[in-house]
Amino acid sequence: MARSIWKGPFVDGYLLKKAETSRASGKNEVIKIWSRRSTILPQFVGLTFGVYNGKKHIPVAVTEEMIGQKFGEYSPTRTYYGHAADKKAKRK
Amino acid sequence: MAADSDRICIGSIAGAFGVGGEVRLKSFCAEPTAIADYGPVFTEDGSRSFKITLSRPVAGGLGARLSGVKTKEEADALRGAGLYVDRTRLPKLPADEFYHADLIGLEVRDTGGALLGLLHAIHNHGAGDILEVTGNGRKVALMIPFTRAAVPTVDLAARRIIADLPEGLD
Repeated sequence: MARSIWKGPFVDGYLLKKAETSRASGKNEVIKIWSRRSTILPQFVGLTFGVYNGKKHIPVAVTEEMIGQKFGEYSPTRTYYGHAADKKAKRK
Repeated sequence: MAADSDRICIGSIAGAFGVGGEVRLKSFCAEPTAIADYGPVFTEDGSRSFKITLSRPVAGGLGARLSGVKTKEEADALRGAGLYVDRTRLPKLPADEFYHADLIGLEVRDTGGALLGLLHAIHNHGAGDILEVTGNGRKVALMIPFTRAAVPTVDLAARRIIADLPEGLD
């Protein structure tokens, strides 16, 4: 069942504080978080979060397309190691 | 994994398909049908080579004919065989794009020259590519975003990656 619109998106309060502090400092840092359930808000765009997957923090660089998704969607709890074959990685 | 540094495993033979000598292929390529685009494929020891002609998608893979394989028995005999192509058959990539096969196994050092570990795998969970670095006594893998800021240098010739770790990564 969808969340009621009047409530607004859910986000753990401490994330907002951490994001504000990081943005104010202007440092290139990964903000470690454990809140996989929090919604990605517009004010997080441009920041990089380390989202805990139960074992380690997976870096998630937030972009505009991610707004409205949950942090946990970008930090899977199971890892699949396939063959490299012709797969490519792009440095952004 | 590659049989050696010049060959890359792009698929394997899952078994025979039907009774007419067709095989069921498992493709490891980013685009599965690209397995037929890189010219002749070799077995792991390089003793046999095949030209792949894809026929149709089948349950659990791709149906295909291999040159020189005419019967179901010949196809069955190849079950489990890996299929390799020469690294040189892969097309050249623009700057800042790399094949996983070229990067995996490179040593990763920080900007001070200290060894962080070896590149074990590359992941993409929807938020850009991430390098997984293991070894050098690490209990938990180090995950580094594959960005110019975090990875300023990729030196394939020297088989080395320089990482400028952002704060908060350990």
